Amino acid sequence: MSRAKLEKLGVKLPLFPTTSVGSLPRPDYLVQARADLKKGMLGAAELRELEKKATAFWIAKQDELGIDVLVDGEQYRGDMVAYFSEHWPGFTRSGLVRSYGNRYYHKPIVTSEVNWPGPTTVEWWQYAQGLTKKPVKGMLTGPYTMMDWSFNEHYSDRRATCLAFAGVLRKEVEALIAAGCKIIQLDEPALSVRPEELPVALEAMEAVTSGLDAYFITHACYGAFEHIYPKMLELAVDNFDLEMSNGDMRLLELFRTHKFTKDISFGVLDVHSHLLEDGSKVRQRIKQALSIIPQEQVWIDPDCGLKTRSVDEAIDKLRACVEAAQAFRN
Amino acid sequence: MNLLLASTGSYPRIGDSAELQILRRTFAAADRGEKTAADLADAENAMTRLAIEEQARAGLDVITDGQTRWYDPISHLAKKLSGVRIDGLLRFFDTNSYFRQPVLTARPERHRALVADEFRFACNALGTLATPTGKAGKLKVKAVLTGPYTLAKFSLAEYPEMSALEARVQAYATALATELHALADAGAERIQVDEPAILKYPEDWQVFVQGLGTLLRTRDGLKQKGKQIEICLCVYFHDAGALYEKLVALPVDVLSLDFTYNPKLAELVASAGSPKPLGLGLVDGRNTRLEDVGAIARQVEKLLPKITGGLAYLGTSCGLEYLPRDRAQLKLELLGEIRAAAGL
Repeated sequence: MSRAKLEKLGVKLPLFPTTSVGSLPRPDYLVQARADLKKGMLGAAELRELEKKATAFWIAKQDELGIDVLVDGEQYRGDMVAYFSEHWPGFTRSGLVRSYGNRYYHKPIVTSEVNWPGPTTVEWWQYAQGLTKKPVKGMLTGPYTMMDWSFNEHYSDRRATCLAFAGVLRKEVEALIAAGCKIIQLDEPALSVRPEELPVALEAMEAVTSGLDAYFITHACYGAFEHIYPKMLELAVDNFDLEMSNGDMRLLELFRTHKFTKDISFGVLDVHSHLLEDGSKVRQRIKQALSIIPQEQVWIDPDCGLKTRSVDEAIDKLRACVEAAQAFRN
Repeated sequence: MNLLLASTGSYPRIGDSAELQILRRTFAAADRGEKTAADLADAENAMTRLAIEEQARAGLDVITDGQTRWYDPISHLAKKLSGVRIDGLLRFFDTNSYFRQPVLTARPERHRALVADEFRFACNALGTLATPTGKAGKLKVKAVLTGPYTLAKFSLAEYPEMSALEARVQAYATALATELHALADAGAERIQVDEPAILKYPEDWQVFVQGLGTLLRTRDGLKQKGKQIEICLCVYFHDAGALYEKLVALPVDVLSLDFTYNPKLAELVASAGSPKPLGLGLVDGRNTRLEDVGAIARQVEKLLPKITGGLAYLGTSCGLEYLPRDRAQLKLELLGEIRAAAGL
């Protein structure tokens, strides 16, 4: 059904379309440039040129590897929530908060009404799409995750905060569609954190995507999906991009209990390991997926964004996805 | 009536100034091979000292070491046990932070200290600080352990004998019981046992009680040997309302609750009362919004008379690691303001 939707949108994809989740590692020169910007040794315009150069590198690399649905690699973004908080009115930047290990981020604080100031991601999407003939995904963070990963000092409760984000995100989605974007990903890694709030997440996503002419993907990872499955399938998207490998494919057992009714971007590579999985292991994971999910519904990608890997590691992992998909197509 | 101010566990290990980023920078340098394990230990020691100093300065009566050395609440303990491999990342409850999942490849066994050395360090570090006014001989360090049920619930088993949750809970409980001895030897009098998972999986109540029972029997055994330790059971990250009556009936010395998931929990607790001291997690450890001092003070005034013995510990709903450092400090200062507003 979703494949028909894609064709209606003018997007023709092979069996087992390959993609990646969103972020890709920054080349060393960009890492250095961002550090130089902080020290005042580089201007914002110069940094932007380097971000464009890095984006062009990743678009060319994905094309060269044979990826089917591309991402811009988020070379210009930091944290997936903080990026939007830096562009949308209503936020104050907090001090650093730890995520895990030695990773810290500035968790946004909602301090007043959140508003849409105009297109936030469209220009970058247009730039990336202009570099390739293949479709490039529009990349956003979903309303529930925006809410859950922000501190809230303004709205009365979590639902009100979530719906406020939904209203803003819908405008951004409409702007992406108006620019020609056909495939839009709204990441919801927080989807399963409070199972009792799943209705809020469903309501918010419906408010973002209902009636809009695009193929929608959501990415969720590192969650306790056993508490929200199969109800989560009611989320108003066409494709769930799920981290399968890090959890040793245990999610598949859930899918045996109730048919997986949407398309799935099936994470076949652990993004938190420096090691590249053996090709046979990747193929085995896809085979496991196909034992439960019809092949027309299956996309292939890594578990999550690859920004924590080195450039070479990320390229190797993307290549492994493409090789595995080709093996099954053949 | 007595209201003590207590830490609920973790404390931010970073801040915005260069001095407060020493741990992050040292870890990054170590990853590049430019710093050694000894450098890392120094950085952890420095941030631990600061955590202790800031808690003491905020006027707390019971502090922790800030759990600055903990990679996460699960793997910090599990990785020190034999028979455990530390595996991939999983989200820790409804937080945007992650833990590394233990995989049991054999029966987990304790052969070295889990937190006793860290407790000793904290006591020594506290001893180097100037005693805050009125706190001479009263300021206490509390050790924190993640409980056997939560450890077991978030562990996987490759070893067939550990495939049942009951077996994992008992194995962890046995290891933690040995740690209680080590903590008692180190002079610990207060030990917080974190069991957040039981709120989320109440169907495991019997298994949870069995694991806790092992620790409580160890406490009782230590008492007979003249070593008084108090076990504070700490639950958070979910609504405790449904389990409150069962939780408060457990033979722990203190029950610490997170009041932020159910706006009616304070009412429920005030109505049911408590036969033992309570930890009142009334200040939200997960959101930067600063609470209305008067409103929280009124909740305290309603709760305290319902607690047998009239002793309670006012704290944040969970450890403060989820907040930026400046807000964590403000939340701790708020505790003192609430106590003052309650006239205590």
